[in-house]
Amino acid sequence: PLKTWSHQAGSLLLLLVSNLLLCKSTASLPICPSGAVNCQVSLRDLFDRAVILSHHIHKLSSEMFNEFDKRYTQGRGFITKAINSCHTSSLSTPEDKEQAQQIHHEDLLNMVLRVLRSWNDPLYHLVTEVRGMQEAPDAILSKAIEIEEQNRRLLEGMEKIVGQVHPGIKENEIYSVWSGLPSLQMADEDARLFAFYNLLHCLRRDSHKIDNYLKLLKCRIIYDSNC
Amino acid sequence: MMVSLHEQQSESLIHSLEQEKGVNMKENVASMIVFLLLLFLNIRLLKGQSPPGKPFIFKCRSPEKETFTCWWRPGADGGLPTNYTLTYHKEGETITHECPDYKTGGPNSCYFSKKHTSIWTIYIITVNATNQMGSSVSDPRYVDVTYIVEPDPPVNLTLEVKHPEDRKPYLWVKWLPPTLVDVRSGWLTLQYEIRLKPEKAAEWETHFAGQQTQFKILSLYPGQKYLVQVRCKPDHGFWSVWSPESSIQIPNDFTMKDITVWIFVAVLSTIICLIMVWAVALKGYSMVTCIFPPVPGPKIKGFDTHLLEKGKSEELLSAFGCQDFPPTADCEDLLVEFLEVDDSEDQQLMPAHSKEHSGPGMKPTDLDPDNDSGRGSCDSPSLLSEKCEEPQANPSTFHTPEVIEQPEKPKANVTHTWDPQTISLVGKMPYLSVNGSKSSTWPLLQPGQHNTNSPYHNIADMCKLATSLDKIDKDALQSSKTTEAAGEEKATKQREVESSHSKAEQDTGWLLPKEKPPFISPKPLDYVEIHKVNKDGALSLLLKQKENGDQTGKAGTPETSKEYAKVSRVMDNNILVLVQDPGAQNVALFEESTKEAPPSPSQNQAEKDLSSFSTAPSDCRLQQGGLDYLDPACFMHSLH
Repeated sequence: PLKTWSHQAGSLLLLLVSNLLLCKSTASLPICPSGAVNCQVSLRDLFDRAVILSHHIHKLSSEMFNEFDKRYTQGRGFITKAINSCHTSSLSTPEDKEQAQQIHHEDLLNMVLRVLRSWNDPLYHLVTEVRGMQEAPDAILSKAIEIEEQNRRLLEGMEKIVGQVHPGIKENEIYSVWSGLPSLQMADEDARLFAFYNLLHCLRRDSHKIDNYLKLLKCRIIYDSNC
Repeated sequence: MMVSLHEQQSESLIHSLEQEKGVNMKENVASMIVFLLLLFLNIRLLKGQSPPGKPFIFKCRSPEKETFTCWWRPGADGGLPTNYTLTYHKEGETITHECPDYKTGGPNSCYFSKKHTSIWTIYIITVNATNQMGSSVSDPRYVDVTYIVEPDPPVNLTLEVKHPEDRKPYLWVKWLPPTLVDVRSGWLTLQYEIRLKPEKAAEWETHFAGQQTQFKILSLYPGQKYLVQVRCKPDHGFWSVWSPESSIQIPNDFTMKDITVWIFVAVLSTIICLIMVWAVALKGYSMVTCIFPPVPGPKIKGFDTHLLEKGKSEELLSAFGCQDFPPTADCEDLLVEFLEVDDSEDQQLMPAHSKEHSGPGMKPTDLDPDNDSGRGSCDSPSLLSEKCEEPQANPSTFHTPEVIEQPEKPKANVTHTWDPQTISLVGKMPYLSVNGSKSSTWPLLQPGQHNTNSPYHNIADMCKLATSLDKIDKDALQSSKTTEAAGEEKATKQREVESSHSKAEQDTGWLLPKEKPPFISPKPLDYVEIHKVNKDGALSLLLKQKENGDQTGKAGTPETSKEYAKVSRVMDNNILVLVQDPGAQNVALFEESTKEAPPSPSQNQAEKDLSSFSTAPSDCRLQQGGLDYLDPACFMHSLH
């Protein structure tokens, strides 16, 4: 009886493991409703959606920066002061294509996550502070609001992707802390304007970084570097 | 500035020299030398040599986001050969570097290779211009490679015209991304745009192609030469320039089969058109008449429009039957006898049709007594019509064929008219046998005046009488007149009877007095109309109202209804012989008429009658409403 029982247990275990493995490689399923726990969207679709989001975020950021510069800080040489002033520069992100291609895709994914997380706070405050600006420019404000929302969605999607690409190890949530809020609230108009300028400048750059990394990852993971 | 400085210095020197002129002669020499030096410098300045002007970095571009190049514009030359150096330092670094490559990008350029290029980093770049006189530095330019990407145009642009089955041909445009751009790893994502136009067109037709490297153009003009160009844009960068033009010739899309079909269709339609034109030309009139049939004009029998044109009124009117005055000889021939009663014939009522003698203008009659349709006026059962508005063609047309059909009636001289034979009427009605069998039931009518035929005379005969009155024998006139008169009455009666009751086979009795020839009575005769048929087969005849009823004379007003209760016999001419009921008044009337009939007319009277008779036709005719016989009463009246 014990022998048969062990046989049964072994076969059961085998069945369970095979099930788990099979579950891993399920084919693509339709889009998950929000809040669904066990919904499985294919990696391809996740990446496609992530790339669309990141592309859109950068486009909005670029427009927002250009509009702000044109309206408030044109010709005032703020760029000279905005050197090396982004709070995410401490994150050691790759700086060119070779570096990006050498880094392992898991690390790259983590880096994306870190950058995205680093921007949660600043984006929130950006919206608040732009609203409080005198003659709050509607175009800038609406873009800020949308960027913040899309950034949150992108973060969720990225966490899903990471969960699919290399599950298991859940790293500490590293991100850069942003401390530029006091600058945004300064009384000095010029200082405040520079603070906004700097923030938007950094946002433009980092959104481009994320977009570029995700496109690299997509082509590498999904299309095997043959986009 | 330097010039003014020197000038100031020299001035001050001179001033001091002047002030201390006498103090020190040695100092004078030294100052002279200095002055000369300064002068020498001024002279050199006056020649136009100066340190270089400030250069200006006007453009930095990266074709693939891995390298980039900056170009500057030199400032004022300064007249001396100038050396340019480009120096830069990167964001977050303190080290200043010099341009690694001045050549690759062309003159006044600096090319940053991959090794020296960092993305998402600001480069602070300046250019130094140095010459013998000095140097100048450009304003620093802040460059982030991320935002200066402008690729080369796509390469390998190929064009091909595809002809799929059952579809229109299309142009298939293919290209490749520029060689330097790394699309495969996803480092750059390109979007493309193509434009094309026919060679001679002015405007380009632009199409956005997305990220694909091929495109189908469907709206093509066949037989044209097309020029095509393509360009690309990175996901966050600048559009490239347009690629060099590629051209292609679009072939004509007329297949041989199409051309053959069209030629065939064209030839066929041409032939059809020609046929139609030819048909119209040849038979134009008949076709026109076929399509638009001419409205028939009024047709009057015997009415010859040509005669009218010629103005031969006599002939024209004679065609109506004896309507002109003085009567001519031709009238006789045109007059038609269409009734013949033969006494000697079998006295059976014949079926009321005699088709062999029906004229062309006549149709088989129906037996509706009141239905005049399809018949000539002589067919009408109502012998008297209300009014005679105008001479109608019917009688004449009715007559003329009969004339033709009666060769036995030669156009003889008038004397023949009194021949009983000629006087005898030949019934032309379909329900009367015309020639041939004749009844002999009326001995009254033919006391040796005619042959076996007992004539029922119609107007035509009366006309004949009229026309020939000049020439006839007086006696014959008398007798014939009476005969005519009586015959007329009989004829009318017979006609009515026949029309209403074709198949009665009963003996007819003649109403008119049989013993004597029915003389012309002073009062006009009555036209009777079949009123009803009794169940015994007796016909009830109506006396028709007449306008000249006051002419009836002493017979009194005519009865509207008289009973002719009995048909004595039917003759084989389809003639009914009617007898009157004994109690009927008509008998009296007719007796009277018969009594009055035979006064012996004198010649004078005859002549008078003749004359009056001659005039009568018009009156009588008017009354008849076109019937082709005259009221014998008129004649009788006139003759008396």
